[in-house]
Amino acid sequence: MSDSDALRIHREPRLESSAMLVGWSEDAGQLGPRVIDHLCKAMGCEEFAQIEPEGFFQLTGVSIEEDVAQFPDSKFYCSEEKGLVLFKSSPPRADWYRFITTVLQVAEQYCHVKELYTLGAMVYFGAHTAPRQLLAIANSPQLKEALGPYSLARGMNYETPPGQRPTLGAYLQWACKSRDIIGASIWVPIPFYLVATEDPRACRKMVEFLDSRLGLDFDFTGLDQDIARQDDKIAEVRLRFPEIDDSIRKLEGNLGLTQDENEKLVGEIGDFLRRRD
Amino acid sequence: MAVRLYKEPELEKPVMIACWPGIGNVGVMAVDTLRVALEAEEFGEIEPWDFFYPKKAVIRDGELKDLEFPACKFYYKSTGTQDLIFFVAEEQPTEAGKTYAEGTKAYQMANLVLDVAVKFGCVRVYTSGAAVAPIHHTARSRVWAVPNTEELTGEVTRYGNTVVMSDIEGRRGQGNITGLNGLLLGVAKRRGVEAICIMGEVPVYFQGLPFHYPKASKSVLEVLTTVLGITVDLKEIEALIQRSERDIELLYETLPSEMKEQLDRFKHAARAEPSEPGPITDEDKKKILEDIDQFFKKEPREGES
Repeated sequence: MSDSDALRIHREPRLESSAMLVGWSEDAGQLGPRVIDHLCKAMGCEEFAQIEPEGFFQLTGVSIEEDVAQFPDSKFYCSEEKGLVLFKSSPPRADWYRFITTVLQVAEQYCHVKELYTLGAMVYFGAHTAPRQLLAIANSPQLKEALGPYSLARGMNYETPPGQRPTLGAYLQWACKSRDIIGASIWVPIPFYLVATEDPRACRKMVEFLDSRLGLDFDFTGLDQDIARQDDKIAEVRLRFPEIDDSIRKLEGNLGLTQDENEKLVGEIGDFLRRRD
Repeated sequence: MAVRLYKEPELEKPVMIACWPGIGNVGVMAVDTLRVALEAEEFGEIEPWDFFYPKKAVIRDGELKDLEFPACKFYYKSTGTQDLIFFVAEEQPTEAGKTYAEGTKAYQMANLVLDVAVKFGCVRVYTSGAAVAPIHHTARSRVWAVPNTEELTGEVTRYGNTVVMSDIEGRRGQGNITGLNGLLLGVAKRRGVEAICIMGEVPVYFQGLPFHYPKASKSVLEVLTTVLGITVDLKEIEALIQRSERDIELLYETLPSEMKEQLDRFKHAARAEPSEPGPITDEDKKKILEDIDQFFKKEPREGES
C-alpha cells in the first residue's frame, strides 16, 4: 500500500499491536479532544504524523474562537509503552472517504491497530451532578460481547432520520469493519448547559472506561481536581443566582425546565465558567 | 473510484439519459418517471464512497449493521425501437461549502458516467434539469435545450415547446449550466459524444425553495418521449402536478397582496422580446426575489424549528 499524498509521517512508531482512540474537535464540550489531551499528557504520547488539510477543509482563512485564530488540525500521537495511538482532528468538510482511508492507513500500516474507539459526547437534559452511563455502538458482535463487563449501555436501535447524516465516528467504524478492525463508538452524556464549555465529569467517565479496557494505569488526581474546581464554580453561581439554583434543583429532581429557564442556565453557567480565573 | 457493472447487456446504439437532483427536482422526476414506466433494469453503479458522505446509519441492538450512501445507478431498456441507458444519481458530488457539483469530484463523476456511455457505444447523451426563468407558476413550462455541437441546434429547435438560448429574452444565445448537467455536456463534447441538456422552466421565485416542480418535469418528459419515439402514461406525473398546484395555490394565498401583485407581473414576462420594453425590469426582478426570500425566511418551513 502506498502512502496517501495527504499523510506526513515524522517518525515511524514501533508498535506490534495497539489500540487507537479518535476524538473530533467540535464535539459537545470538546469531549473527544479533551480526553485525548488528558491521555496524551498522562501517557507521555508524542506526535508522529499528521494529515495535510488541503482537499479536506475550506482553506479560505482562519476562524477565530475564544480570541484565538484556529486552523484545521489532524494529528497522530502514540505511546509505544502502552500500545496506544491517539488521533485528534477537526472533522473534514470534504473528501471524507480519502480522509478516513488515510487515518486507517496509519492505523494498519504504521501502528498495527487491533481495536479502534471513537469518542463522543451527546447532549442530555439532566444535571451535571447526575450519574452518567456510557453508550457503546460496536462494529462487530465480538467487540459488543467483549464490552459486556464494562457496564456500558449496548442495546441501542437507531436509524439516521431523513434529512440528517450519520456521524463521522459511524463512518470511521464502518470503514474499520470492512478492514476487520474491531471498534466501537463510545458516547457519554453531557448536560446541555456544559456543552459550550467543558464537563470534566464526562471526561472522567470516558477515561475510566478506557483505563479499564486498555490497562492504562491512569492517575485520576488531575481530573478529580478539575471536577472539584468546576463543582465549586457552579456552586458559586447557584449561590449568587437563586433562579439558577432552582433550575439545577429541578433537573436533579428529574423535572423539565421552560425554554426561558434553559436559556438562562446555559447563559449564566457558560459565562461564569468561561471567565478566566 | 470505480464503476461496478453487474452485467453487460448487449445494446445497439443506445441513448443515455442522465439525471441528478437539482432545482425543483425537475430532471430526476422526469427521467425516473420514464425509467420506471419502461421498467428499465439495473445493471451497474458508481461506487459512491469517493463522492458522497453517507446518508444513513443502521444500528441494531448496539451494533453498527450498515451505512448507506447516496446511490448512483445505471439501468438499461430495449424498447424495440430504441435501446436506452439511464443514469440516476441521488445526489450531486459537491465540494466543501459549494451548492452545485463542481471541481475535481464532479469532473471525475462526469467522466465515469461517460465511460459507461462510451463502453456501450451510446450515440447520444441527454442530461436533464431545471431552467430558472421569469415565468409565472400558472404558465406552461417550456424546455430550454442546449446541445454540445452546432450541428445539433437545428434538430433541437424542431422539438415541440422547446427554445434554444438565442430564443430567450436578452440571452443572445449565451448562458451557463451549473452542476453535473453542464459538466457532462462538456465532458461529452471533449470525448466526441453528442449530448443535449434539456431543462424545464421553473419560476424564478421558486429557485431557492424546497419545492418539487412536476410541471417542468412533464415538459421535459414530453420532449424526451417524442424524441425517443416512446409513449408513456403521464397520469402519475399529472396527479403530481395537480397536487403541487394545489399546494402552490395554498401558499400563494398566504402571501401579502402586494407580493402577489408583484408575482402576477410574471404572467406577462416570459415571452417578451428583448427589443420590447419588458413589463419587468431587472431591478423589479431583484426586488421581487428579495421580498420572496425575506418572506420565506420569516415563515417557519416544514422540518425546520
